[in-house]
Amino acid sequence: MSGVTLEKIVKRYGTATVVHGIDLQVQPKEFVVLVGPSGCGKSTTLRMIAGLEEISDGELRIGDRVMNRVAPKDRDVAMVFQNYALYPHLDVAENIAFGLRIRRVKKDEIARSVTDVAKILGLTDYLQRKPADLSGGQRQRVAMGRAIVRHPAVFLFDEPLSNLDAKLRTQMRAEIKRLHKRLGVTSVYVTHDQVEAMTLADRIVVMRDGRIEQIGAPMELFNHPANTFVAGFIGSPPMNQFEAAVEMEDAGPVAVAHGARIALPALDALKGAQGRKVIVGIRPEHASIEPVGKGSTVSVELDLVETLGSEALLHTSIGDTPFVIKAETGGDTDHLSSVNAFHVPVERIKVFDHETGRVLGSSQMGAAA
Amino acid sequence: MRKLTLTAALCASTMLTAQALAENDHRIVDEPLVLTIHMHWPRAQGYDENYPVERVAREMTGIHLKDATAGRNSTDSNEAMNLLLAKGDMPDIVGGHLIQQPVNQYGPEGAFLPLNDLVEEHAPHIQAFWDSHPGLQEAISSYDGNYYYIPYLPDGEFGRAWYIRQDWLDKLGLEQPTNVDEYYEVLKAFRDQDPNGNGLKDEIPYFARQWEEVNRLLNLWDARSSGSDTYHDFYVNDEGKVVHPYALEAYRDGIAHIAQWYEEGLIDPEIFTRGSSSRDYLLSENLGGSTHDWFASTSGYNQALADKIEGFNFIPFLPPESAGGVRMEEHRRIPIKPDGWAISYTNEHPVETIKYFDFWFTEEGRLLANFGVEGETWDMIDGEPVFKPEVLNSDSPVNSQMYLVGAQIYRGYWQDYRYEWQWTSEPARKGIELYKANDLLIDQFLGVSLNQEEQAVYDKYWPSLRTYMLERQQAWILGTGDVEADWDEYMAQLERMGLSEVLEVMNSAYSRQYAG
Amino acid sequence: MIRHQGAGPATEELVIEAREALRHRVRRRAIWVGDHFRREWQIYVLLAPTIIWFILFLYKPMYGLQIAFKDYSIFRGVAGSPWIGFEHFQTLFGNDQFLRAIKNTVIISFYSLLFGFPMPIILALMFNEVLQQAFKRTAQTIVYLPHFISSVIIAGIVITAFSPSAGIVNTVLGWFGVDSIYFLTKPEWFRPIFVGTGIWQEAGFQSIVYLAAIAGVNPSLYESAVVDGASRWQMMWKITLPSIMPTIIIMLIIRIGNMLEVSFEMIILLYQPATFETADVVNTFIYRQGIQGGQYDLAAAAGLFNAVVAFVLVMAANTIAKRYSRTSLW
Repeated sequence: MSGVTLEKIVKRYGTATVVHGIDLQVQPKEFVVLVGPSGCGKSTTLRMIAGLEEISDGELRIGDRVMNRVAPKDRDVAMVFQNYALYPHLDVAENIAFGLRIRRVKKDEIARSVTDVAKILGLTDYLQRKPADLSGGQRQRVAMGRAIVRHPAVFLFDEPLSNLDAKLRTQMRAEIKRLHKRLGVTSVYVTHDQVEAMTLADRIVVMRDGRIEQIGAPMELFNHPANTFVAGFIGSPPMNQFEAAVEMEDAGPVAVAHGARIALPALDALKGAQGRKVIVGIRPEHASIEPVGKGSTVSVELDLVETLGSEALLHTSIGDTPFVIKAETGGDTDHLSSVNAFHVPVERIKVFDHETGRVLGSSQMGAAA
Repeated sequence: MRKLTLTAALCASTMLTAQALAENDHRIVDEPLVLTIHMHWPRAQGYDENYPVERVAREMTGIHLKDATAGRNSTDSNEAMNLLLAKGDMPDIVGGHLIQQPVNQYGPEGAFLPLNDLVEEHAPHIQAFWDSHPGLQEAISSYDGNYYYIPYLPDGEFGRAWYIRQDWLDKLGLEQPTNVDEYYEVLKAFRDQDPNGNGLKDEIPYFARQWEEVNRLLNLWDARSSGSDTYHDFYVNDEGKVVHPYALEAYRDGIAHIAQWYEEGLIDPEIFTRGSSSRDYLLSENLGGSTHDWFASTSGYNQALADKIEGFNFIPFLPPESAGGVRMEEHRRIPIKPDGWAISYTNEHPVETIKYFDFWFTEEGRLLANFGVEGETWDMIDGEPVFKPEVLNSDSPVNSQMYLVGAQIYRGYWQDYRYEWQWTSEPARKGIELYKANDLLIDQFLGVSLNQEEQAVYDKYWPSLRTYMLERQQAWILGTGDVEADWDEYMAQLERMGLSEVLEVMNSAYSRQYAG
Repeated sequence: MIRHQGAGPATEELVIEAREALRHRVRRRAIWVGDHFRREWQIYVLLAPTIIWFILFLYKPMYGLQIAFKDYSIFRGVAGSPWIGFEHFQTLFGNDQFLRAIKNTVIISFYSLLFGFPMPIILALMFNEVLQQAFKRTAQTIVYLPHFISSVIIAGIVITAFSPSAGIVNTVLGWFGVDSIYFLTKPEWFRPIFVGTGIWQEAGFQSIVYLAAIAGVNPSLYESAVVDGASRWQMMWKITLPSIMPTIIIMLIIRIGNMLEVSFEMIILLYQPATFETADVVNTFIYRQGIQGGQYDLAAAAGLFNAVVAFVLVMAANTIAKRYSRTSLW
């Protein structure tokens, strides 16, 4: 198995630069997900790995080989496309066999491979059907079959699930995960859906505007976002963020916003930061309506209760800043309608630089790297 | 008493004037009468009520023609007529271009009124014309013996003539050819002796705008190419029988000679495809030597090319005497056109209408129809109608000017050749006089009206026969067949394809129509 | 079942019941249709022009087809003309020249189809492979151009090009020492010249529909093939062609339906009695036949024959297309 290495990869279209020199090291057998809003350069990056786009600058290696000028077919990669890219005039078996046939693999070998792949993907009964006669999920499986059958060194997925409905997506997500476990092939997967990223990835690469914002394991990104963007992108609902001014008290730094006073962790960066403007981040699931040990209590005004079942989202406001709280319902939402404050433990609070959006603090950052 | 005498004298003179007036009074109706008319013709697809000629005729006769032409959006007069007939509501008068065939077909079915009795009773001037031109009334009659339209009767006799580059003849020191052998030698000289002096053997000795004119050469070997101004038409032989020129022995010899001339390069090798601009091209490029074409337009090149080609002199010469010693000009102007006007069955004033038709055959009516309104486009000088100088010297041709005022349009009238003579160029006039002086004209076949059974026979066989004849004709001329060798086969095939049947119906119709 | 003791009345009741039910259903259907029209009338208004057009210009004229079996006189009208049965058809089929015209029509059509049908497809595939946009646009314009020139001009160009004295064809042949040939009077040359002219005139323009079809092919099919390692040639054969095959088949069926509609004015302009042998087609035959006096009835008979043949051809082509591919007109 080969890893994929991107070194200072740049993509320019004329004068517009869409990928600004990214570095990424995908380990052999690793499942890496590129995630970000549309236009962030994630698909372009993937297509550069596949060889569908030329690399303007930087170096791409698959295994030990530099691939910048190597034709797609010689990169030993297989790609699964968002719209499946199935040939409508070929049946399932022929679609799966297409890549092998192009490579003039022997007929009986092709037949064997197709049978194997069909078995893995549960397509055995559909081999003679045309794509038009398949469901969305089945088509998706055929598209994966086409990739698998070639035993490539790297799988590339370009938003493969975005054309499926929510239920199928969940199902296929799990299937892809299983497949990866079973085949253990290095995979680079592009999506705009952070849930997909969280569930599938060994490591997530969050991208924005052609740059990597943060690379890390899913929980690491969740617990230790490097900046306000990642904090807002990973997790659902996103982390609450609001501006505050730092005041130094005897017990430690405190954030003051809209009359609320919130105790902040004693970070190195906050030493002597009296009056400094910061952005305070609190995840909805970390704001508790029950009192907690060491922490602050913040008064809020309740606007709306969204019930999800076992949980509910409380849409509140601090002054005029919206603030979402995720609370356990315990099977009953009545008691939630009287909420007028939340409590938050001090260690759960993130503090970001007001100008750069970078997270403040040293101890945590050391752990993240 | 004296008074009385005076009064009587006054009375007498008044009466005289009244009588004189009555002579020239063309008034047909006391109350103005409006008649509707369909008149579809090439220049204008309709009848303009504001023609000065119409205005004057209205004043003189009291009859007012109102335009009701069908199919004005098409320039195809046949189409317009079909549209009119299919529509059903017919105007009082149906006139214009190419009305003979529909009028003779649908007249007997009741669409148009037979004119024989109407003319005899109410149209003395038309009747007088028929009486002085025997055979013409028969020629336009339908198969039931009646005639249904008053035709446009062209005047003048000569149409086409034989033309040759006199300046080439002079240059090569040759005389105008007087017979077929001399013509052959002249054409060879044109081919070989570089009369255009460009050092290339690119002269085209004999050429023609219509490829069918190659058949005119048949006359040189005593065969015929057509009996009328329509190509490939039947003709009436000396025994008074209708025959077809392409099914006669003489034709075989004629075609053999033409094929030989073609082979030798005396005839334009591209005569079949060069098309209508060939005369323009071959004359202006100084390539063409001789042709058979219309007097007026062909003579015009002398003026048009005077500056371009030095000494250019393309003039008519007498038809070469044939091998059998006959000198004739096969083509002439047809005396009757299939154009004119007819009275439809819906007309409630047939008598007034025929009187109106007759008006155009009176002295005044004919002048009006030919020259326009006196004093406006022409004046009477020494008893001759003479166009005003501004008409003759205008940039636009005289006929175009006439069309605009409503003269020379396709009503039933007798053309006056004095109209055309006045603006015929000098070389053409000379040619016409030359031809006239030599009595070259032969009788025309004016066609027959077939009854329904005869028509069915004709329709069944003739189009295919004609196609076959033309296929063979071109093949022989082009040299892909040998007329001498193929002849018996050819005649047998014509027989199989129904030539006898066609000739039989033509002859039965002919004897019925022209017996009287 | 319960009432089977009193068979008579029971049956009657059942019938009544069934009738009631039926009437009920019919009434409901009627209400449904009424409701439907009230609700969706805008859609029917949009549909109306097409329906009216069809009735006015395609169905109403069918009434006139009967003149093929009549001794038609314009003055008497369609209804007033007497019936004569199949006489016109007998006249046509009893004429050697008509049979020859059918033969020529079929041969010319077949050649046009054989050589003319693939041309626009090949052109479209070739244009699709051209990457240089400026060159592509220029080339396309050049091949579309002849379509917009009137047949009369095209015929003039052809006549000039094949002229024995000044024509480019004979000039080129002259370089190789070939004597000049008077092509347009040679029966054996008529079909190649006519078919070639047709291709030259229309292939470019017809390629537009295939270019549109190619433009509609999902680009990721090509990307996927690139990753799989397909060459351009393989992509053309294995992706482009199969992807536009439905368009090709539909065009082929339409083309077969129009097969006997040989471009008549072009033939009139190019043929000569000398080339009738190979050039005279049904339409030109009728044109010459009919010119003798508006034989609309005979022309209608020939037209009807043409239409019947075209109908059979379309049906056959469609059935074959349906059987061997999944594409068909209906």
